[in-house]
Amino acid sequence: MNSLIVISILAIVVLYIGLFKAKNALLPVTIIGLIAALVLSIMEWNSGASPIYSGMMLFDNFAVAFSSLTIVSTILILLLSKNYFEKISENVAEYYTIILFALAGIIVMVSYHNMAMLFVGLEIMSVSLYILAGIKKRDFASNEAALKYFLMGAFSTGFLLFGIALIYGASHSFDLDVIKQYVIDRPTGIDPMFYVGIVLMIVGLSFKIGAAPFHFWTPDVYEGSPTLITAFMSTVVKTAGFAAFLRLFSVCFAPLAEDFWMPTLLVITILTLFVGNITALYQTNFKRMLAYSSISHAGYMLFAIVALGATSTNAVFIYAAAYSIASIIAFGILILVKEQTGGENFENFNGLGKKNPFLALMLTISMLSLAGIPLTAGFIGKFFMFSTALAQYHVWLIVFAIINAIIGVFYYFKVIVAMYFKEAERKELTSTSYYKLVLSISAIVTIILGVYPSLITDLF
Amino acid sequence: MSLFYFVAFLSILFSLLVIFTKNPVYSVLYLIATFFTFTIQYILLNAQFLAVVNFIVYMGAIMVLFLFVLMLMNLNKETEPVKSNLVKIIGVIAGGTLLVTLVGSIKALQTSAVSQLPNSNIGLVANLGRVLFSEFLLPFELSSLLLLSAMVGAVLLAKKDKRTQNG
Repeated sequence: MNSLIVISILAIVVLYIGLFKAKNALLPVTIIGLIAALVLSIMEWNSGASPIYSGMMLFDNFAVAFSSLTIVSTILILLLSKNYFEKISENVAEYYTIILFALAGIIVMVSYHNMAMLFVGLEIMSVSLYILAGIKKRDFASNEAALKYFLMGAFSTGFLLFGIALIYGASHSFDLDVIKQYVIDRPTGIDPMFYVGIVLMIVGLSFKIGAAPFHFWTPDVYEGSPTLITAFMSTVVKTAGFAAFLRLFSVCFAPLAEDFWMPTLLVITILTLFVGNITALYQTNFKRMLAYSSISHAGYMLFAIVALGATSTNAVFIYAAAYSIASIIAFGILILVKEQTGGENFENFNGLGKKNPFLALMLTISMLSLAGIPLTAGFIGKFFMFSTALAQYHVWLIVFAIINAIIGVFYYFKVIVAMYFKEAERKELTSTSYYKLVLSISAIVTIILGVYPSLITDLF
Repeated sequence: MSLFYFVAFLSILFSLLVIFTKNPVYSVLYLIATFFTFTIQYILLNAQFLAVVNFIVYMGAIMVLFLFVLMLMNLNKETEPVKSNLVKIIGVIAGGTLLVTLVGSIKALQTSAVSQLPNSNIGLVANLGRVLFSEFLLPFELSSLLLLSAMVGAVLLAKKDKRTQNG
């Protein structure tokens, strides 16, 4: 709760700093505030939380872990924003404010204990993101991204809200515990309305995380938005969406898994994996490839919900952490390449290995981690996902997943091949010390988690 | 009870007029009248909040928006596209299916006992306010973040930029 308060107030403080034209103070104040929020959040670890404010929020270890992960990712992304927003327009403070508001919504999303809070949190996050997608006002692609995201997002919110309403109609409560008790008390004879509600909520949440039949907005929005915002969307927002999804299904709907929603979600998962990976193969644009790869990673993360069990939370947490950190490296280097060569296709990476060995090494580590090669965090993430699924005997799912992982290796290696084995005349890319700091931290974390996974595997 | 029948009659009358008038602007005006009769029904049902929301949001905001759009689009007979026979056939099939469904459901209809609400004053504004400021205080306060974020964003997107931008 304290971290939510700190972030909300921080957003307003940053807005005032913008008002008084103290531009150089923006980034330091934001980072310090976020670190304070992070510390406050970690302090609630194992504090034996119970629902607060008449059952609205619950800061258990699940909430602490996911809010810390999202805050850390946001700090890393914001460190990359030095001199980035200034190129777009003069209203830099507002951008930081809206990102912080989105983060506040995310904290609500990972710690809700009541459907009303889920909805409010999701909306705070979504509305902020619609704006952030469109901040390049004169860029056509950015306008398109914002409009598409807004229309699709508003539509999916409608589904989610309708689902919440139907579940309320059946169980007479928004509270997660009461809904859970409703399901447990009725081994037979649950209101049909309740089932319809679950399906609508699956649709709404799948929209938000970009899972397969509902993924059509993802590539265009990710490609059109400013790269830094894309990084935020595909890491922090995706993590939050999965945390909300997992919390809802593991608390409320777990007893209905086998009979009702598991087959639906299984189909969605397999479809997501194939659509994401096969389409990613055909991309020539690096940013669009990352967008499709984020769809396929959503598929892997859905494993934990399909095979709901005691290890699910841990698996999603490890996967989300590994994926977020690796993506931040990839997007950071993409920003540098885009700014200094003007393009974001694979050929813009040709010859990077010779001129910028450091950047090339960092991007290689990130790609290896995304592909799930051993000794990187991505491997550990995939390993835990697969073992969660195997524990529930979803053998076919694993077979599909391994086929997809192999397809994934192919397109992630495209960029490594371009960097090291294709010659091209190019200038050396210059990067600031902020970039070097973020990239090295992320790469080191990726390797450390890959070598000593027990650092975070025993959290829950 | 006679008031209910009178208002219900008006609702049906106005909704028929919505469909049968030629001019789209009149059509929207009749739709507003239809919504107004709904508002009266809500008041008769002791649902103050629904009545007020229906009045403000549907009749006020949404329908006025409809009117504006219609006037801006400048719909004339000349600009209206000619409907092909295929569309007409599809329309007949779709309408017929709906008719069959309706007739089927009406045949399955039976009257049930009147259901009594546990608390007949549940729709009053006072009760809603009490819940909003006690149990649901936190989501209520958090909505302010949502509104503030939307407001900042709206100003940010709508404000004129001095510089041209690229990159």
